[in-house]
Amino acid sequence: MVQPFTAPESIVLRWARAWGMQELDHYRRAGGYEAARRVATGAITPDQVIESVTASGLRGKGGAGFPTGQKLKFIPRQAPVKYVVVNGDEGEPCTFKDRTLIEGCPHLLIEGILIAALTIGARKAYVYLRKEFYHGRRVLDAALEQARAAGFVGSGVFGTPSDVEIVVHSGAGAYIAGEETALLESLEGRRAMPRLRPPFPAQAGLYGKPTLLNNVETLCHLPVILTLGPETYKAYGPPALFSVSGAVSRPGVYEAPLGVPLRSLIFDYAGGLRPGRTFKAAFPGGSSSMLLTDEHLDVPMDYDSLRLVGSMLGSASVIVLDDTCDMVEIIARTVEFYREESCGKCTPCREGTIWITQVLERILHGRGRPDDLPLLESIARGMTGTCFCPLGESVPPSLGASLKHFRHEYERHIARAAGAPPEVHTVRGH
Amino acid sequence: MTPDHRAGRTLSDAARAEIRRLTGLYEHRQSALLPALFVAQREAGYLSPAVMEEVAGLLDLPVSEVTSVASFYSLLYLEPVGRHVIQVCTNLACLINGCRAVVNGLQERLGVAPGGTTTDGRFTLRTVECLAACDEAPSVIVDEDRWPRVAAGDIEKILERYP
Amino acid sequence: MATDPSLGAVTLTIDGRTVTVPRGTTVYQAARSAGIDIPIFCYHDRMPPLGACRMCLVRVEKMPKLQTSCTLVATEGMVVDTRGPEVTAGQEAILEFLLINHPLDCPICDKGGECPLQDQTFRWGPGRSRFIEPKRDFAKPVSLGPVLALDRERCILCWRCVRFGEIIAGDDALKGFERGFTSEVGTPFALPVESKFIGNTIAICPVGALTSRTYRFRARPWDNQPVASTCTHCGLGCAVWLDVRGGEIQRVRAREDRAVNDVWLCDLGFFGHNYVASRDRLTTPLVRRNGRLESTTWEEALDLVASRIRESRARGSGRVAFLGGRRLSNEDAFFAARLFRDVVDTPHLDHRIDATPSGASLQVAWGLRASIEEIGRGDVFVLLGCDPTEEYPVLWLRLKSALDRGAVLMTLHAKRLEIHRHARWEQVVRYDRLAAAVEDLAAAVERAGDPGSAAAAIAAGQRVHVFVGRAALDGPESHALLRAAARIVSAARGTLHVMRGKGNDLGAARFGVVPGAGGWAAPEILRQAATGALDVLWVAGCDPATAVTDRSAWDAARRGTKFLVVSDAFLSATAQAADVVLPALVLPEKDGTVTNLEGRTVSLRAATPGPGQARSDREIFGLVAAKLGVLFTYGTSDELLADMRAHAGDIRVGEVLPVPPVRLDGLTGSGDGSAVIATDGLLVVAADHLFTQGTMTGRCQGVTALAGPPHCLVHPDDAVRLGLTDRAPVELTTTHGRLVLQARVSDATPAGQVTVPRGYESAPVQRLLQWPHVAAPVEVRLLGLAPAGGAP
Repeated sequence: MVQPFTAPESIVLRWARAWGMQELDHYRRAGGYEAARRVATGAITPDQVIESVTASGLRGKGGAGFPTGQKLKFIPRQAPVKYVVVNGDEGEPCTFKDRTLIEGCPHLLIEGILIAALTIGARKAYVYLRKEFYHGRRVLDAALEQARAAGFVGSGVFGTPSDVEIVVHSGAGAYIAGEETALLESLEGRRAMPRLRPPFPAQAGLYGKPTLLNNVETLCHLPVILTLGPETYKAYGPPALFSVSGAVSRPGVYEAPLGVPLRSLIFDYAGGLRPGRTFKAAFPGGSSSMLLTDEHLDVPMDYDSLRLVGSMLGSASVIVLDDTCDMVEIIARTVEFYREESCGKCTPCREGTIWITQVLERILHGRGRPDDLPLLESIARGMTGTCFCPLGESVPPSLGASLKHFRHEYERHIARAAGAPPEVHTVRGH
Repeated sequence: MTPDHRAGRTLSDAARAEIRRLTGLYEHRQSALLPALFVAQREAGYLSPAVMEEVAGLLDLPVSEVTSVASFYSLLYLEPVGRHVIQVCTNLACLINGCRAVVNGLQERLGVAPGGTTTDGRFTLRTVECLAACDEAPSVIVDEDRWPRVAAGDIEKILERYP
Repeated sequence: MATDPSLGAVTLTIDGRTVTVPRGTTVYQAARSAGIDIPIFCYHDRMPPLGACRMCLVRVEKMPKLQTSCTLVATEGMVVDTRGPEVTAGQEAILEFLLINHPLDCPICDKGGECPLQDQTFRWGPGRSRFIEPKRDFAKPVSLGPVLALDRERCILCWRCVRFGEIIAGDDALKGFERGFTSEVGTPFALPVESKFIGNTIAICPVGALTSRTYRFRARPWDNQPVASTCTHCGLGCAVWLDVRGGEIQRVRAREDRAVNDVWLCDLGFFGHNYVASRDRLTTPLVRRNGRLESTTWEEALDLVASRIRESRARGSGRVAFLGGRRLSNEDAFFAARLFRDVVDTPHLDHRIDATPSGASLQVAWGLRASIEEIGRGDVFVLLGCDPTEEYPVLWLRLKSALDRGAVLMTLHAKRLEIHRHARWEQVVRYDRLAAAVEDLAAAVERAGDPGSAAAAIAAGQRVHVFVGRAALDGPESHALLRAAARIVSAARGTLHVMRGKGNDLGAARFGVVPGAGGWAAPEILRQAATGALDVLWVAGCDPATAVTDRSAWDAARRGTKFLVVSDAFLSATAQAADVVLPALVLPEKDGTVTNLEGRTVSLRAATPGPGQARSDREIFGLVAAKLGVLFTYGTSDELLADMRAHAGDIRVGEVLPVPPVRLDGLTGSGDGSAVIATDGLLVVAADHLFTQGTMTGRCQGVTALAGPPHCLVHPDDAVRLGLTDRAPVELTTTHGRLVLQARVSDATPAGQVTVPRGYESAPVQRLLQWPHVAAPVEVRLLGLAPAGGAP
């Protein structure tokens, strides 16, 4: 008999899963805003915050995984004007943890923002939410109103002389705005095109001022770290929020220790595949991470282990594909996404994505040629390491992996009689 | 072109006041551009040249900059759209979970292809990228409401809610 | 990019060669300095690196992937490879990406032969195309206004043109639209581009996507003979290449001159050359017989002129006068001065024909009191009645780059300037209130101003430059205004610039075309002529009939003058009324020098020989002098230069000889009366525009089209009151005259003021104005109905 799987206790996600956490009173009764109050009143100094965050091992949850403590440290203390900018442009395909947190417990985010702002001495924070978070925006706006009325946000937070104003700013429909410098461009009212680095946002970010730029989930970890202490926090893994979706029985956000095996996330947390289906492949960290096959099911889901197998943790979003998925269609749809969302600034991303989707569509429509596979590999090579930002660089790894592990599926499409009706249709098209 | 052209004014005083308020939230007034365009779009239905000129005048930005920025973002409409906009996610999780049936069902029911608007001006159908609701795949957003786990059979009762 | 020598140098290795460059240099620039060529498309050395095209990839030791050399700053010990197989593969991949949607229509493309994409493809590109998909399909070239054509299929989206408008010109003329693979550059709604500098985008386009509609399909670059000369339109003296083929200037390009125009030009410079080859050029002398101008020989024409001058001298001295200078070279002006002062013996010479009789323009020497480069290092700029993009466009580019480095701009004018978004403080007042506004500003600067105010910034500025323009110098109460401007300059320890003088006006002033002892200034010459005091009036290279700010003053002068000689290239309105017309060369047909607004001597090279029997003004003056018994003989050009130096100071080609200092002694009055023009109704005001339809510009199809039909600006509030819509035809009536124009409804003009551009031969605004007033109460009447759908 197999023991039924019991997920370990969660310390971050539980706030969003508990009932009524959109309400300030409920959040406070559960101990909310105490960590921020202690930072505001000086009971916890900025140095202590940075120390705790550093000790916790917290790394950015947006995809790049940069150590959060270091990021806090990089903000020049003496700069007169600084900003906190929250990246809530959650757009990486099949990532939905930030949305879950905002809708479930907006106060956790607000408290995280307060801690970050008070730590670096920023008087203003902007939350850049993707426009499609209509519900999340309503929830966050209402929570902010409550927090402002309680004196936690605005001028003189928690009765101290410190001001922290929080402004929610909606995007307008552009995945690339999730890239941090493109987000700043967008927040400044321009086309969301990534900026050249250096300078990094910590030196010259929003309006050229030092800017702490963090993902929603990252900031939601701060109150938890300060409340429990870094050691206790770390003992939970440290914890990470995984979005698991696709061909699984129970898609959802799961909190699990960093390093949880991919197999466990899929088969334990998410309930495995649907009856009668078998595992084919999975993207471990959003569609930008390299596709893994069953040989990697036991890979620990942490930064280093995934890098060792050529993939990455990214936004910790597991997209599961089963035996009914046509790999060429999946890859075509993925590359099509990057084609649609490419900002158009740099040549290889703008031209490579359209070229690859043109070839893939041809293959899907029974007009493929044997030469197309080396051609695809060559286009992918031309995009590798040549793009301005990670968006274009997301295309070659999974395309390459699919050509390596599922070449037969491409060949099957190509082998079909020229002009045969398509076996599958791409849904998006253009 | 002459921004702030009184004869060509299309936005209400309330919208103009709201746009002016938005500029106060930021160190640079251009930051208010996207929110301002949504204020204008909500009122005018879509961003006609006249509307964008007016927004440019209110924010003291070049019309070229306003139109260039507006054209970049997929949720700013430079062409007229229906009273209700239906966004069907077609990214991986929704694709794997049957969004194709939803798109096909909507196409059939509305008689328009993705990108199209029904002749009665009621609906615009759009296929979109990941809505970050993959736990609810297939996900559909109508106006500002998110509908979870939509199947072709749900279409009629969803559409009923949007006269 | 900007490097700071105080930071020291770094040494790196590029392709095995040791290269030492100042710290802060990019790898691309370091390679270039060592003679190593790295292909580029998006990078332009006058703009910050962008890193978008990815063509300049290099391999750097210890770096995980290829790097863009244009964005990578060289560091000590860096080892760079620009040629290895990995680099070549990367560059080939990028080039292939660029070419998949490029039509490769080089044989019919204007850029062919000077196209970086063509060159790179030849050097680095793959031999054959693996792209079998349908290429991106755009409608064939679209016109973005009268001078610019855009072929989107050829565009490789390097963003240079867009960034030029954002960074260099600040006019945001061309923009990126859409995104990703559907990205394109263009204008909103494909409307005509609004810019004074768009020619530069054609020049820096690395493919044939942006082309000139006036040059399209006219020549191949290798057939053009480039002639290094100077643009003589606005007086800034921008260095140009005149590209000549078949005896005709095909196009004008910027020639690099870091001290003046750097690598840029304005669109008048780019597109204002077709008049040279106009078929309307005068080719033979004309004399009036039986009331009609008829062709004659040079001999006969010169004899007639000389005899009339001799007759006048017999009646006494000072009965001959000379007007002109703007379109003369320094040498022409020097000869004119020698002829009229020394030989004819008259003190009545002047080049300031567009000055008003009592305005401040006549009281101060014109020009800049600092070099253009020095101005570029300023930290506070104050524009008083000065509109740089309409008057001296390329100077604006200097100001813009200074603003980007932290300088601030304050503008005060009787209209909203195109550059208003770049001004920290902008004040728009009606024309008749300009002087009072400048006086208020002066008082505030003297009090060091309120915190955050323009006055405070001016008072605290380290390198303050105050520019007083024509609207101020010839406006109401201009004497008081100029005195107030001088107070601002003195309180701020700044520099006062008199923004007056077009073409070679400053050369004319320097070489003697100014009143001598007891001589009359231009308005007085006209007044005296009207009373019959002149026997002979010679007008050279200018058109008083359209340039004098009161048309009736010119008409009266003409009527009162017994004998009018005009030397010009065209049968201008002035020439049509002449007794003798002498066909003259224009500046692009002359060798010699001109003097720019700084007092810099810059050289002219003849691009084409000139039509028919046309002669240079200098030669004409010499021939008349000879008829009068004096030979101007110079064995060599050095001898001539020595004589010019003896008269005008130590001029050297390429160098600045400062213009005389501003002296305010002459400012005794208040200037032209404002009491009379004070009105509760509408006031009509004339304004200088860059694009006009004058004697020369009216013969440049690009400029004529850019100028648009004769029009006036009406404020939206006034338009509502008058029942006017945009583009409606209106009739303007003053006590003095009438004019029919197209109304443009615009808040660029203040309420209560109708602004009319100068420079339209067919609709001269000076018909509406009467000296001493420079503005007039006006009635505006809507004519008929506006054309349906006339907007935008």
